[in-house]
Amino acid sequence: MKNSNYPDSIIEMQNVGIRYGQGAEVLSDIKLSLKRGSFHFLTGKSGAGKTSLLSMMYLAQKPSRGIVNVFGKNVNFTNRDALAMLRRKIGVVFQDFRLLDHLSAFDNVALPLRVCGMDEREVKKRVTELLQWVELEKHINAPTSTLSGGEKQRVAIARAVINRPELLLADEPTGNVDNDIAAKLMKLFVELNKLGTTVVIATHSDKLITDFAYPRLHLQNKALRIYRPIDVLNSGGNHGI
Amino acid sequence: MVYKTITTRKKELPLQDDSSNLFLQVMISIAVFLFGVTLAGVLSINSMLETWNNSILGSLTVQVMPINDVNEEQAKAQTLAQQEKAVELLRAKNEVEKVTPLNNEQLQKLIQPWLGDGIDVKDLPMPRLIDVKLKKGVEVDFMQWAEELAQAAPQASLDNHKLWLNKLIKFADGLKLLALTVLVLVVLITSGAIFYCTQTSLGLHKYIIEILHLMGAKDTYVAQQYAKRTAWLGLIGGIYGLILAIPTIFIIANLAKQIEGGIISEARLSFLDWSVIFSLPILSMVIAMITAYYTVKKTLEKFM
Repeated sequence: MKNSNYPDSIIEMQNVGIRYGQGAEVLSDIKLSLKRGSFHFLTGKSGAGKTSLLSMMYLAQKPSRGIVNVFGKNVNFTNRDALAMLRRKIGVVFQDFRLLDHLSAFDNVALPLRVCGMDEREVKKRVTELLQWVELEKHINAPTSTLSGGEKQRVAIARAVINRPELLLADEPTGNVDNDIAAKLMKLFVELNKLGTTVVIATHSDKLITDFAYPRLHLQNKALRIYRPIDVLNSGGNHGI
Repeated sequence: MVYKTITTRKKELPLQDDSSNLFLQVMISIAVFLFGVTLAGVLSINSMLETWNNSILGSLTVQVMPINDVNEEQAKAQTLAQQEKAVELLRAKNEVEKVTPLNNEQLQKLIQPWLGDGIDVKDLPMPRLIDVKLKKGVEVDFMQWAEELAQAAPQASLDNHKLWLNKLIKFADGLKLLALTVLVLVVLITSGAIFYCTQTSLGLHKYIIEILHLMGAKDTYVAQQYAKRTAWLGLIGGIYGLILAIPTIFIIANLAKQIEGGIISEARLSFLDWSVIFSLPILSMVIAMITAYYTVKKTLEKFM
């Protein structure tokens, strides 16, 4: 998964600000450098701007000011087709899943492979294996509108990782699943990270942060602070989460 | 193997359920119907002009005006004598292939559309007509011939059809221009309808399109789905429009034949003309496809 054409930083932000319309900035002067192969938690109170920060990372939003480089490319000066090619390297688990309810679990998970034009036999092989792994093989043909919250979440996670992304962004990925499934999903993220995938997980879960000693990006008062695991341990694992 | 039991792939964009599909199909049917009928008109005018040109080039008509005399019989005899002189003069010309003085029956046929069957030309002070066919490719000094005719038969005058043909050609060209304007308008209105329906549909499916984009889909991926769907609507709408247009063309042609008068009946559609008309559903399919494709591309440029 390593590519020498890319710089060491997967995402770089300099003096980034985001505002919606004429309103005040929701994020100000964000400086960030995510190294290739790193694993971070993203924390902050509700409304702190986690989703806005993530949406810049998965290229759904451009900054109101400042510079955002993703895979070494300044998103402000990258054309639409090139942005699409960058998005193919990014897997996203949305808090509200964003599944296509008229499609089956299989078709939802197959989406990132099909937009890349992958051969349908390979698509079937990969998607089936992954859906078996997330214990959804019984619901392979079920429209996602008929699935429970936890099942939907697993479909969303399977869709995010099916393409073996270089960057995985997850917004509350374990929020709707029981502890066993949550542990299994976290194990998947950790395994992907070991294989070279850069991972950022937005969470409110203290348990996740204490169980997994990864650095934490914390949003507070529109600004971003980075806590290394030692800081987390010293501060009792609570930074206004 | 589990994946053998996977049901058929569904389309990510459920465009087949769009409520604008029926409107678009009906719109395209009407457009192709209008286009087909108008195109048949344009092609008929073209064929009519060609027929006129071919029949007029290489022919001319000599008209011998009737002599007015108290003695009717004498006047007729003098008129016929002048006709004879004119025929003799024309037959002596090297450029002439055939000279045919029209008899009473032929004159009767010519005036029948205007005056009906009850009139006998013998009772009318009708001018005598001589149809002259020239040899192919020859050039004639009409002024010189007119002078010679005037000397031999003072009542005779030469008509090389240019004056009335030019008027007819101008009229036909005007009709053609009007028809072509209609054709352009039909294409523009249909493209406009496709443009707005596609934009509406993009708005309806914005949520799905955003997800597709986030999965790494390029604009062309979305545009191709729209292009395929709209092309299908264009083809089906085009076929319905053609099915309506063909009998209409035959009905109009039949009505035109009933006008007679020797002008409209010259209009014929060739095999090539019919091929063009029958290819209209393909044309509507291509226009629909291209319009939808570029509408999607242009509209999505406004998305991130």
